[in-house]
Amino acid sequence: MADDDVDFDNPRDVELSSLSAIYPEIQQLLPDDPYAITLDVPVHPSKAVTVYFPATATDDAPVATGLAPPPPQGAAGAVDSHELAYLPSVHLEITFGPEYPAEQPPRVVISTTPPWIPDGTIKRLEEDAARLWEDMGRDIVGFTYIDHIQQAADGLFELVDGKGSLEVDPRHKIAILDYDIQARKAAFEKETFDCGVCLEPKKGSACHRMLDCGHVFCVACLQDFYNSAIKEGDITAVKCLTPDCAKDRAKGTKSSGKKRKKPRTFINPSELLQIPLDQETVKRYVTLKYKVELESDKNTIYCPRQWCNGAARSKKHKKPQGFNLAETSDDSASDDDDDNDDNADRPEGEVGSKPYKPDDELLAICEECAFAFCSRCHQSWHGEFFRCIPRRDKQELTADELASLEYMRLHSTPCPTCGVPAQKTHGCNHMICSRCQSHFCYLCSSWLDPGNPYQHFNEAPDGRITGCYMRLWELEEGDGDGAGHGFAGGAGGAAVAPPPRVVAIEDLIPIIEEPDDAEDVIAAAAAPPLEPPVNGAQQVGIAREGPLVLRIAANQPAAAGRGGPRGRQPAAGGGAAVPGGIIPPAVPQPPGPARGGGPAARGPRAAAQRGARNRGRGGGNAGLAQRLNQNHHPHNNQLPINNNNPGGRPHAPLARPRHADPHNVAGDDGGGGGGEAGLAPAHEEWVRHFVQLALNDMEGGSDDEEF
Amino acid sequence: MASQNKRIAKELAECTTSPPAGITITLPNDSDLHRWHVTLAGPDNTVYAGGQFGLIVTLPVDYPFRAPVVTFATRIYHPNVTNDSLGNVCLGPLKAENWKPSTRLAGVLEAVRALLVEPQPDDPLEARIADEFRQDRAEFEKNARAYVVRYAKGPVKFDAAVGAAAAGAEAAGGAATGAAVVRP
Repeated sequence: MADDDVDFDNPRDVELSSLSAIYPEIQQLLPDDPYAITLDVPVHPSKAVTVYFPATATDDAPVATGLAPPPPQGAAGAVDSHELAYLPSVHLEITFGPEYPAEQPPRVVISTTPPWIPDGTIKRLEEDAARLWEDMGRDIVGFTYIDHIQQAADGLFELVDGKGSLEVDPRHKIAILDYDIQARKAAFEKETFDCGVCLEPKKGSACHRMLDCGHVFCVACLQDFYNSAIKEGDITAVKCLTPDCAKDRAKGTKSSGKKRKKPRTFINPSELLQIPLDQETVKRYVTLKYKVELESDKNTIYCPRQWCNGAARSKKHKKPQGFNLAETSDDSASDDDDDNDDNADRPEGEVGSKPYKPDDELLAICEECAFAFCSRCHQSWHGEFFRCIPRRDKQELTADELASLEYMRLHSTPCPTCGVPAQKTHGCNHMICSRCQSHFCYLCSSWLDPGNPYQHFNEAPDGRITGCYMRLWELEEGDGDGAGHGFAGGAGGAAVAPPPRVVAIEDLIPIIEEPDDAEDVIAAAAAPPLEPPVNGAQQVGIAREGPLVLRIAANQPAAAGRGGPRGRQPAAGGGAAVPGGIIPPAVPQPPGPARGGGPAARGPRAAAQRGARNRGRGGGNAGLAQRLNQNHHPHNNQLPINNNNPGGRPHAPLARPRHADPHNVAGDDGGGGGGEAGLAPAHEEWVRHFVQLALNDMEGGSDDEEF
Repeated sequence: MASQNKRIAKELAECTTSPPAGITITLPNDSDLHRWHVTLAGPDNTVYAGGQFGLIVTLPVDYPFRAPVVTFATRIYHPNVTNDSLGNVCLGPLKAENWKPSTRLAGVLEAVRALLVEPQPDDPLEARIADEFRQDRAEFEKNARAYVVRYAKGPVKFDAAVGAAAAGAEAAGGAATGAAVVRP
């Protein structure tokens, strides 16, 4: 409306011209009526207001259906509230009729989109025009009225309840929230910010406000920084650029007593797209983030297919879909599909209902190639009821497992029959396997004749002796932490790395010199030189088994008294066999010397050789001890060896030829007492018992506990 | 690049016009904004009072996206500064994983000064000095004062350490720059 059109005699023209000067956004309602104007009055309370939307069943599609008036305050408990700074503006349509201002008040129509103001309030506001017109003495009221509406809007039309929140029909929720976002954005873009990175003042339209923390940076800096960080794979750098931002927020939430555990530091891919970053870059960010997450989780299982190596699906780390980091994804349906596809031949009754889940996570499905496999054995999926053995390399054993293995190697002896490792806790070296009832020698793992197990430790009627001759009571206190080092027996004794030979020899010497203080190493200094060993092998034998001889000597008085009676009480004196708790897969075999079957996968041959070596050493040792005894007999005639070996013959030469055929040793050992001739009833019973055990084993399938 | 130089120029202007307490800044080479020579006066009421400590601030090419490197050109007896000609400093905000592009150099220099006021023996570069600081404060103070007298009196010489620092910065280079300085 141009100035020269203004008719200063017409109060309507005067008023309109001043109004449009004050509110430049005023528009003409109808093209042909200059006295009908429209104006939007913003609703922007000085303080953000809490708007809540009482929950209704028709929350989601209310406008479309148009029904369902909101339940009156019924669901006050379930409130959906938001802090809003802007509410949809009030749309005024004011018509100044021809009789205005003298005779007629302005006609006012108020509306909002969406209609979030209750009808009653609207009506009251509309009527305020006439009231004000009257108050003004029926004069021009345009500005007064618009200002009145503006003030009412700032006070939210007194719609705020006592608790400081505004209730709005949930049907308008989306529109109202959207309006708020748009309005905030518009306001943000008008502002000016100092970017903390380039330190330049930037218009809001060139800036981005971080969604989580609200810090503002210019888009150019954010793009530069995030692009280079993502390009270099430095995913952890992709967070707010303000120092200590996350920390401060953590403090803030803590002090405000909110329950949120940890403020999120990483930036959502959707926000990166808003900044905006390239789709390619954001995709890379998502992928890298997923990878880092998988790699930092020790429990991640990777696809056993070499060309794939994808990660198995897991509830914790969902594979991102597109740009979503997929914090919640409902893949369960497709999971089931895969199950069915890949396991068509599974036992029935499992696929659908899954009534029994021994290991929830056994089934793994590769994210990349959808290969279904067992997370334990890494074979293709075999159903839940198949007991499988983990496929693991030696290197993958944990330190604990390695230590257990090592301990078992040092401190247990496998049963020659079933291979179960046994540890002696106390008693003599005649063992009875707790699993298969085999009798065996703890020192060399030889099978012993149940009828006369002690023969193994004695001299055979034909004068032959075994490597365990006279060693029934070695390690009487049991094979534990303290024992085993100087101990050549036991399953692993032979495999131990070279023992401290020199010390052992020195230990050996004092017995001879001073039997009463045999273990006093200090005495070694004064010891006379030992008779040179016959050969290298024998030297080892002496060195390693010396302390054992020494032990007998040290306990000499007791040993002397013990030798007889214990020997005659076979059953009572039997060593207590403690199963190692670890049962290697056992296929029953007849008792035999070559049966190593140890968990460490020692071949039978190795076991046989070990036995041979043990015996060889034992034999050599016996011979040597004999010689020593003879040499020193004048000084010490109480050595137990002497007591038990009245013949005093050196046995080493005899022992030697027997080692040539280790496979025959068991026969020698076990049958040395002449028990081979025929099966005594007791033997028959034992054999039957054993066969029964073997059959049970076959039926029950192998116990596949592993290390 | 241009915008980065602009930021550095801005920061330099800010630091020279209203420098943080006890700090003066010069550019050894006017055409190189990436190398600052900073003279830090030992804060009063500390063992370093009366000393003038030279700091060399090297700004990486992609500053502020990467942390600057701060080294002492003057020898100093301090748990968080290496006791050698490199003078590396252990400063939390300069660690690669902590660095944020909106950290200002003025703040960094303030942090260095704060380190002189209050050493952080729990995060030491020189464990021995840190132990001494905790267990035998008198001995620590004596040693620190001796260093001040010996090295930090008179005009600061940046040259002595320049060669070493430059070599260090070069060797550390690129991505590892921040980390190399922060932790031994």
